[in-house]
Amino acid sequence: MNEMTPVQSVGVAKPLVDGPEKTTGKAMFAADFQAAETLVGRILRSPVAHANITAMDTSKAEALPGVHAVVTEADCSDTYGVLPIAMNEWALARGRVRYRGEPVAAVAAVDVATAQRALDLIEVTYEELPAYFSAEEARAEGAVLLHDDKPGNIERDAEFDLGDVDKDMAEADLVREIEVKCSEVCQVQMEPHATFAEYDGARERLTIRPSTQVPFYVHKMLARTMGMAEGHIRVIKPHIGGGFGSRTETLQSDLIAGLLARKARATVKVVLSREETFITHRGRPESHITMKVGMKSDGTITAVDFTVQQRGGAYSGYGIVTILYAGSMIYGLYNISSARFQGLRVLTNTPPCGAFRGHGTVKTRFAFEGLIDDMARELGLDPFAVRRANLLAAPTMTENDLLVNSYGLDQCLDWVEKASDWQARKGKLPANKGMGMACSHYISGASKPKHWTGEPHATIHLRVDWDASITLLTGAAEIGQGSSTVMAQCVAETLGVDMSRINVVSSDSALTPKDNGSYSSRVTYMVGNASIDAAQNLKARLIEAAARKLEIATDDVECLGEVYRGGQQDQGLTFDEVVMEALAGEGTITVKGTFDTIPESWGGRKYRGAAIGGTMAFSYAAQVVEVTVDPYTAEITVDKVWVAHDCGKALNPLAVEGQVQGSVWMGMGQAMSEETGFHEGLPLAANMLDYRVPTIIESPPIEVGIIEAADPHGPFGAKEAGEGSLSGFLPALTNAVADAMGVRACELPLTPDRLLELLEKKARDGGANSDRGAA
Amino acid sequence: MKTVLSLTVNGVAHDDVIPDNMLLVDYLREKTGLTGTKIGCDGGECGACTVLIDDRPRHACLTLAATCQDSRIETVDGLSRDSRLTALQRGFNEKLGAQCGFCTPGMIMASEALLRRNPDPSEADIRDALAANICRCTGYVKIIEAVQFAAQELASGELAS
Amino acid sequence: MELLPDLKLHHPRSVEDAVSLHAAASSGRYLAGGSDLLVNIRRGIEQPESLVYLNNIAEMQAITEATGQISIGGAVTLRELAESAPVRQHFAAVAQAAGEVAGPSHREYGTLGGNLCLDTRCVFYNQSEWWRSANAYCLKNRGEICHVAPGGKKCFAAFSGDVAPALLLFDAEVELAGPDGRRRLALADLYRNDGMDHLTLGQGELLVAVHMAKPSEAVHSAYAKSRVRGSIDFPLAGVAVRIAVSDGKISDLQVGLTGVSPLPFLVRKLDKFIGRAADDACLEELRDAVRGQAKAMKTTFTPPHYRRRVAGALAQKLAASFF
Ligand SMILES: Cc1cc2nc3c(=O)[nH]c(=O)nc-3n(C[C@H](O)[C@H](O)[C@H](O)COP(=O)(O)OP(=O)(O)OC[C@H]3O[C@@H](n4cnc5c(N)ncnc54)[C@H](O)[C@@H]3O)c2cc1C
Ligand code: SF4
Ligand code: FES
Ligand code: FES
Repeated sequence: MNEMTPVQSVGVAKPLVDGPEKTTGKAMFAADFQAAETLVGRILRSPVAHANITAMDTSKAEALPGVHAVVTEADCSDTYGVLPIAMNEWALARGRVRYRGEPVAAVAAVDVATAQRALDLIEVTYEELPAYFSAEEARAEGAVLLHDDKPGNIERDAEFDLGDVDKDMAEADLVREIEVKCSEVCQVQMEPHATFAEYDGARERLTIRPSTQVPFYVHKMLARTMGMAEGHIRVIKPHIGGGFGSRTETLQSDLIAGLLARKARATVKVVLSREETFITHRGRPESHITMKVGMKSDGTITAVDFTVQQRGGAYSGYGIVTILYAGSMIYGLYNISSARFQGLRVLTNTPPCGAFRGHGTVKTRFAFEGLIDDMARELGLDPFAVRRANLLAAPTMTENDLLVNSYGLDQCLDWVEKASDWQARKGKLPANKGMGMACSHYISGASKPKHWTGEPHATIHLRVDWDASITLLTGAAEIGQGSSTVMAQCVAETLGVDMSRINVVSSDSALTPKDNGSYSSRVTYMVGNASIDAAQNLKARLIEAAARKLEIATDDVECLGEVYRGGQQDQGLTFDEVVMEALAGEGTITVKGTFDTIPESWGGRKYRGAAIGGTMAFSYAAQVVEVTVDPYTAEITVDKVWVAHDCGKALNPLAVEGQVQGSVWMGMGQAMSEETGFHEGLPLAANMLDYRVPTIIESPPIEVGIIEAADPHGPFGAKEAGEGSLSGFLPALTNAVADAMGVRACELPLTPDRLLELLEKKARDGGANSDRGAA
Repeated sequence: MKTVLSLTVNGVAHDDVIPDNMLLVDYLREKTGLTGTKIGCDGGECGACTVLIDDRPRHACLTLAATCQDSRIETVDGLSRDSRLTALQRGFNEKLGAQCGFCTPGMIMASEALLRRNPDPSEADIRDALAANICRCTGYVKIIEAVQFAAQELASGELAS
Repeated sequence: MELLPDLKLHHPRSVEDAVSLHAAASSGRYLAGGSDLLVNIRRGIEQPESLVYLNNIAEMQAITEATGQISIGGAVTLRELAESAPVRQHFAAVAQAAGEVAGPSHREYGTLGGNLCLDTRCVFYNQSEWWRSANAYCLKNRGEICHVAPGGKKCFAAFSGDVAPALLLFDAEVELAGPDGRRRLALADLYRNDGMDHLTLGQGELLVAVHMAKPSEAVHSAYAKSRVRGSIDFPLAGVAVRIAVSDGKISDLQVGLTGVSPLPFLVRKLDKFIGRAADDACLEELRDAVRGQAKAMKTTFTPPHYRRRVAGALAQKLAASFF
């Protein structure tokens, strides 16, 4: 009895609490639900890129036997969108279509064949308008406006000018510029979008299971689009096959499923094809960046001056936030004082972009880390030395008022330098091989949520019942990132009980408290903290009960997790006994835990939109990438990646590793093979052959070093782990290629054709090592 | 046109009248109600629908069910016997080879086929065997570890898969 | 549930039954592994009323060796082909090419016949019904124009099977069966330079087997394909090389190409290399010769410039590996 200690759950490698369902096929994803007489929902999509809809006739479709509902914009009460200030989409196009594939009508029918026939019977008349597939075309003089209230087809021009850029640039020993172009990329989570919607006609209630990261936003937008009371809608999140930001906002398919179910007064399943999932998009925009950096001869950065132009697609989506992140996140990683930013988010006739993992930060980071690598070479400095010359010292506030409370970048650098044996190997590799490195960071949740009503940022309920099991009720959406596991760990750790006592119920609006959703890496930090708070509140209640039963003062109760006792000699009470006592007289206990961000973390006010970037804590990462280039074909092989990630505290080291590996690897896809492309607005790569998500063959070993620069406010010191190491891969790769082949890649993805062009150009220009590139 | 299809799915005999144009993946998910097998793409590009037909991995989304006459079909739903996880399932669970779990059924079935014919695969063998299965979450690192874990467990004689 | 056209599936047990079932149907297709055909059916490109399934025909599933000869059934899977000991020993390029097709699961059921009779590919063609109709279709399927070469009346969709160029190195012959009986044809003559109609198969003809004579021990061969990913992707350019070097001089040289034009073909005018010293200069000339004949068009997402250059580079790289 004496050696009894609370069970440790945090800092221990734990399989996911919902792992068994996933490995046995029992996990139910949205498309797996089936009820008797479920109707098939299908969507009619615009074949043209930009047009006024002058007429639409659905009567033939409605008359077709087996068709239970046809919906159009006329069934929609309002627009939808994710930012309260930019809700300009309709679930089904009203009056105008703005990209090829935009939904214009939808049907629910008894089977696929009938549904398809019905779509074919819908007659839509389009009056075509000029369409713009590049930011330049859309911005050109006299271009037709996509939205009347967006002059120049500019969604947002963002800018700041902090410090004295011109003076600091003039004081630099070396000033260099870079221009980079990055293709648009798409999340391609493995599960195509799907929604299962049940309408109870007798009670006029909708129950819906959307494949979303943000059940709460979907709930709000369903109510808005359908003109229904929020209380008449129940949103239940099924298992989710990944998201990476593609489902961080309400998607038309979710709304359309609701509309169809109501109109048919039946159960409707809408499952998008992979092509439709690509068209729904919400990926990372094509970006064009110019950047100028001033540096002292010791590597100190004096100033940064940069512009970012993003091709945002046809609707606002997250656009404003994305372009603001592209600027603000130049800060927070290094000690930079003066910076000037001009950003343009442009509206084009392509599918709307969204918030892809590493939201807004990735391409700016790519430009910056490539440029300073070149400058280091010119100054004869080691790439590590340049980064070390610019470290921050926490706690601090950046020039744009971002709070940096914990900072493990220095340790990350040390770890990857050592693990990769950088100093011994760099520069000494055989021909066509090279090493490159880069750093990155990311927020642990935006400190100011979009739909802020003043309520806490996160709320958790814990329910303890007569069976002494603990049910953790959370609105936070488990989407495969392991959030349910982390919450269970936080609660178990705080109570000192075994995790098997805890059942997590995630995201059912009828049961779980509201949560904003799984995005911007907010869940571990915010919901983790709320979980701890709830567990502490529960623990206080249990200690009171134990004190009552043991007839001692609460201060004298020693809580050992599974046992509560009065001292070493006391045999004490088991957890079950304490629960019985606690329930006696008052019944089932439900306690609440909440979390609020602190005002210092809310970001600045120095420029319009300066709150974007504000967070409680930044994660930090450094990585080294080693490559081999085939001199014949210009194919790049990534031989190995070493990455160190400062997550404050690895609540679950296994999950942290998995998240970091997944992030680095996703950066690899974007850096090397993935891109969308359009033929007059038709997506050329809306399938998984032409859109090249890396296979296991070319995916490298990724060795992860976990760095724990504890955050003072993080749950057990933790910060985010699932995004921060993505963006570093892109520049680390091109820096490695520069090391191997002596060429600077400024266009991504660096596919073999692009690299070959660089090598050929270098050979033509009489580059030094033309013997290497035979192709 | 319709066919009377006789086959076994996870050891259970089925005789069903099905249309000739029905894909195996639709037969499994909608006719037998076994939704473990997933659909991740519009045909042959992702591996989520991988099932075993007479021990060999195959895309159920590019297979007409009616061509599976007298075949032995196995899906992820039928792997665990008596509700005990197989070595592979435990590997994917404990090594975190499954994050969101959507690729997992296909990954596990492709891995199962590998281990049946090669119980002691090298890392390269594992990569080769899973090269038609896309995972968007893990970067594959832990998937390889999951299969290695299972191979070791099987070799040490615990719980044959 | 996927929407496929209503169709009748036949399960013949012999080649002759297959041929007569096919002949009886109004619009029929042979179905082997289905890894190409079913994709096209799902996309509405093909709408056959009947399918004649070839994988229950024993004759088409065997690899048989006779002195100096090998015969490979049309329904042999790519995995069996890649792993076959005699094929690996005598026709290394063929085994390698089969092992590089698509991904491992595709090779479990994708067949040699299907690979040789694969439809040609183009970014404007391998798209959904919605996509193609929004793009006014194209010459190859229901449309009036070609989006690759808008002025012309020719289709440039690229033949992208991996195995054909390797078989061409060995003067393979195909055995065909049709309503008029069986015949043999040089594999090279199975193809024509027309993306719309690239196979010379007669109405209702099927490919029963491939026959090849074993080359001399001195002959080496290899296959390499260019693709962005390490698996699954079709070749941007696929190159098969057959070479023999004696006393430092080239005594035998053939290069087969795929993925760069509507048909797989042997690079012409390589005689000039016979008797040449196997050195760097020779390799560079070979690269240029191959590049000159690899006339890739804009049929893939990856630009054609690269496909032309990489075809040459791969030939050079493969040849160099035997020098
Ligand atoms: C994601 C993906 C990636 C792919 N990557 C590649 C690749 O890298 N390289 C590559 O070469 N292929 C690739 N393929 C295509 C395909 O998998 C292979 O070419 C395979 O060999 C086709 O064989 P099958 O038996 O499946 O053909 P099927 O689809 O059954 O048939 C293909 C065509 O050939 C005809 N046919 C089949 N057998 C015969 C016969 N015996 N006689 C006459 N006609 C016949 C059919 O009527 C049909 O028109 C890929 C496919 C997919 C889905
Ligand atoms: S080459 Fe031209 S005609 Fe042929 S498939 Fe492509 S677009 Fe169509
Ligand atoms: S669903 Fe079959 S391969 Fe993607
Ligand atoms: S675990 Fe999510 S796709 Fe593999």
